[in-house]
Amino acid sequence: MKPHYSEADLLETYYMRPGESMPVMMHLAGCSECAARYERLEVKMHSLRACAHEEKPETFWARQRIAVMRKIDGRRKRWPLAGLAAAAVLVLVLGGVITRDGNESPSSVQVVDTTTAPAALSLDESTPRRLDDSPWASDELEDYSAMVAWESWVENGDQS
Amino acid sequence: MTAAVMPTDRELIDGTLAGDGHAFALLVERFQRKIFRVARAIVRDDVEADSITQDTFVQAYTHLAKFEGRAELETWLTRIAINKSRDTLRRQRFVSLITLRADNETETMLEPVDDRPDPERQLHSSQLRVAILKAERQLSSQQKTIFRLRHYENLSLEDIADHLGLRSGTVRAHLFRAIHKIRKELAEWRTGRNVQGNDHETALQ
Repeated sequence: MKPHYSEADLLETYYMRPGESMPVMMHLAGCSECAARYERLEVKMHSLRACAHEEKPETFWARQRIAVMRKIDGRRKRWPLAGLAAAAVLVLVLGGVITRDGNESPSSVQVVDTTTAPAALSLDESTPRRLDDSPWASDELEDYSAMVAWESWVENGDQS
Repeated sequence: MTAAVMPTDRELIDGTLAGDGHAFALLVERFQRKIFRVARAIVRDDVEADSITQDTFVQAYTHLAKFEGRAELETWLTRIAINKSRDTLRRQRFVSLITLRADNETETMLEPVDDRPDPERQLHSSQLRVAILKAERQLSSQQKTIFRLRHYENLSLEDIADHLGLRSGTVRAHLFRAIHKIRKELAEWRTGRNVQGNDHETALQ
């Protein structure tokens, strides 16, 4: 006859293959002692989980929502300034290029003059898309780099 | 009288991208509890989990235009939260290398306070909880993440694998290692108890 399973053995069943471990499940079906032990273990695990999920009051969630929207709003407010600063830098840089190359190639002046700078100045403040478009805010680059790192990590995981 | 129709996630995303801040607030309200739970399950700290939840939504807002809808928004948010939680775990692991571990304090803090009448069962729960806690300290951040998602969130191995972008077999291996350590802790606890006699049982009777 198969010996009884200890709580430690059943812990493995509980975490790894709940309901899938045929030898254990078959034993539990025919052994009331082990079945009771497994049931007690499940109750214990559920109670541990329940303790870990203490519900927060509604004020906690409201405060959290406000904090999120404030952070987003703070970023949005920083962006017009960042956009203007970026545009100013571009104007200075491109101005230098235009001045230097002006006598050589008039056509290049027109190309440069109609690209990035006006677009940066005409950013719409209300949409998140705008945040992605500008490459000038370090916070955004940091977040984006974290996202890229995470996505790479996910892809690597998929391939492994 | 007709019930108010709740906007879909997609509608709220489109609204947000069109500049409707209220739409994003609704998305936050819809998912903040789930995201907080996942983050708390991994980092085991309410303040950290709160911070991770906020950062998750800010990051989601920032990159919302890139969300193509191949996965559910909830899955996408959960992945961001798990990623941030893992970063926090790595940071905590680094900090724990240079600080002393106050085992006894933590055990006291985690003593169960539920109202179950059976003192022996309560003792066993406490014992299991402490064994889990001690075993967790020996796990890598990856193992810890996997174990905690399984233990506290009761996610299936397949769901964990999906969230982490890992193979199910890899998740199984990490989890197995975590359980092995818990078993070891439990065995040590029982050995220690046997050496000391049955003081705990006597005290509870």
